[in-house]
Amino acid sequence: MSEKKIPSELGTQPVGKLLKQYALPSIIAMLASSLYNIVDSIFIGHGVDALALSGLAVTFPLMNISTAFGAMVGMGSSTLISVKLGQKDYGTAQSILGNAVVMNILMGVIFAAISLIFLDPILYFFGASEATISYARDYMVIILLGNVITHMYFGFNALLRAMGHPKMAMKATIATVLINTVLDPLLIFETIDLGFVEFSGAGWGIRGAAIATVAAQCISLVWQVRVMSDKRELLHFRRGIYKLKSYIVREVLTIGLPPCLMNLASCFVVIFINRGLTSYGGDYAVGAYGIVHKMTFIFVMIVMGFQQAMQPIAGYNYGAKAYDRVTKVLKITIALATGVTTLAFVVGEFFPEYVARIFTSDAKMIEMAMVGMRYNCLLFPIVGFQMVTGSFFQSIAQPGKAIFLSLSRQLLFLVPFIIIFPHFWGINGVWISLPASDFVSAIITTVLLTNYFRKHKM
Amino acid sequence: MNQFIITIGRQLGSGGLRIANLLAQHYGITAYDRKVIEMAAQESGLSAEFFENADEKKWHGFFHAIFSNRAAANALGSNENYLSNDALFKIQSDTIRDLAERESCIFVGRCADYILRDHPCHINLFFTADLADRVARIAEEKGISEEKAAEFIEKTDRRRADYYNYYSGKTWGAAESYDLCINTSHLGIEGTVEILKKYIELRVKN
Repeated sequence: MSEKKIPSELGTQPVGKLLKQYALPSIIAMLASSLYNIVDSIFIGHGVDALALSGLAVTFPLMNISTAFGAMVGMGSSTLISVKLGQKDYGTAQSILGNAVVMNILMGVIFAAISLIFLDPILYFFGASEATISYARDYMVIILLGNVITHMYFGFNALLRAMGHPKMAMKATIATVLINTVLDPLLIFETIDLGFVEFSGAGWGIRGAAIATVAAQCISLVWQVRVMSDKRELLHFRRGIYKLKSYIVREVLTIGLPPCLMNLASCFVVIFINRGLTSYGGDYAVGAYGIVHKMTFIFVMIVMGFQQAMQPIAGYNYGAKAYDRVTKVLKITIALATGVTTLAFVVGEFFPEYVARIFTSDAKMIEMAMVGMRYNCLLFPIVGFQMVTGSFFQSIAQPGKAIFLSLSRQLLFLVPFIIIFPHFWGINGVWISLPASDFVSAIITTVLLTNYFRKHKM
Repeated sequence: MNQFIITIGRQLGSGGLRIANLLAQHYGITAYDRKVIEMAAQESGLSAEFFENADEKKWHGFFHAIFSNRAAANALGSNENYLSNDALFKIQSDTIRDLAERESCIFVGRCADYILRDHPCHINLFFTADLADRVARIAEEKGISEEKAAEFIEKTDRRRADYYNYYSGKTWGAAESYDLCINTSHLGIEGTVEILKKYIELRVKN
């Protein structure tokens, strides 16, 4: 008998208990990967200066585009590998591993080369100014030189998960965050004062942050390669798996393209926001948005952890037509997510100054970040509901609605708002666009969800 | 006779299912077509309609890809979706493997030839027929016009090819993917079955 894939507990155990059991690991994973983004900003904000934060903020879309292309290979190859492993087709799975390595290298080199050639125009287009471009450029040149390492690191993490080693992938993520956190101050600051002992750092400023990022990934990559070179592993590196096969390349890219496009869409929005903020509020506003974005990101990631935990439970029970259990897990998840986003609301509305101070000590930027945070978090209590419902539709095999809801909050309404509102309210118009988009998409979400409940009357 | 497995790939309207049933009757074994779906549904506890929707389908076209189940799962960052086509394929192939271990039987479609590629006595067949014959057969079976039938055939075969190529990594309908490919137009259904009996007996003996 072949082993069964679905754990039977999904249909029998109390959903609350299941959710708790599934949520913890995914929340930890989400938090670890979000911290990764935040650590650099904190050290740069304090170790360099406030404008460096703005420089960093304009590089994020470019870094996200790189991630999007990396994820194309990563998602595609790991999905295909799990399908092949499910069929015990180890030969093909092995080839996919080798092909993924080659594709990651090609993708990483090509992306880095093109971006380096056109770096300045790209950064200006993304919202850089004369004052911030040098920071953005210094940071990005090093990040792009290490682009292949970044792609390999993320790609191998996805492959490790697909190979049945989610814990190893998690270890690599946490190790990278820790190494980066230790290296950041050592490389950024001139002197490091720990209170009881003082010593000198490399003093490379924003370049140091970029080097720390690449170095941390490089160290984790070496470890990943060692794990995947172990001959006892079902899948490991060996000769003869690196020759590109048209079947593998085609399927990897086909599977990877949609997630890549979703990522690109969200970069596109950040570019719009950054450009809007630069033209109406100047460089400080972009840096302030960077802070606001990072603060909300943590809460959003926790909600996504709950979503990921809900999906197998809701999906299985919907498939088994146990609609009461589906409703129950949806309600609990919405309640938990609403709790998280309400907490974000409280922090953003009542303690924005404390948050801003984590990133910078510049009075002007703190003030702008406070304004931005207050606007951005205004309707956060309803965001949890919106996000969870979107992923709920995904888990019950209605992907069209899921993607529509995800795009409605982050793209469909946000972009027109950002274009129109500033004409009336200037910089505040950009900020208002964020809660306005939350509001409209929450209404749409309510309509779709009401419809669902009407169809599945209890 | 020793235990054996026959897997059948077929162009729509080539008579593959009828051949499967005639062979099953002759050997006193079961031909599994859509029945696999019901069994997979029963074993997994999931409703059969999800398997029906994913049946011999992958996706085609760019927009379909964006809105396909798998795409959403990937785009929104989760693989653990038990209603995704890949997950359903895994469940279905477990059912096929279990059946193949228990008894001699025939599987029609569903990538069974790939799923059972390591089975010691596995006969892997593919049927084609001239387009005119296929169109005539489908038009009659479904009571639709020949034009509609031709369109339906083209769509179904493209879907089958996508599904097969994705999951097996081989090419649907290419001779190298199978042991024996026969155009049923020349000998008709009964004639083809006669040839096959000979072939199967020789194979199973060895």
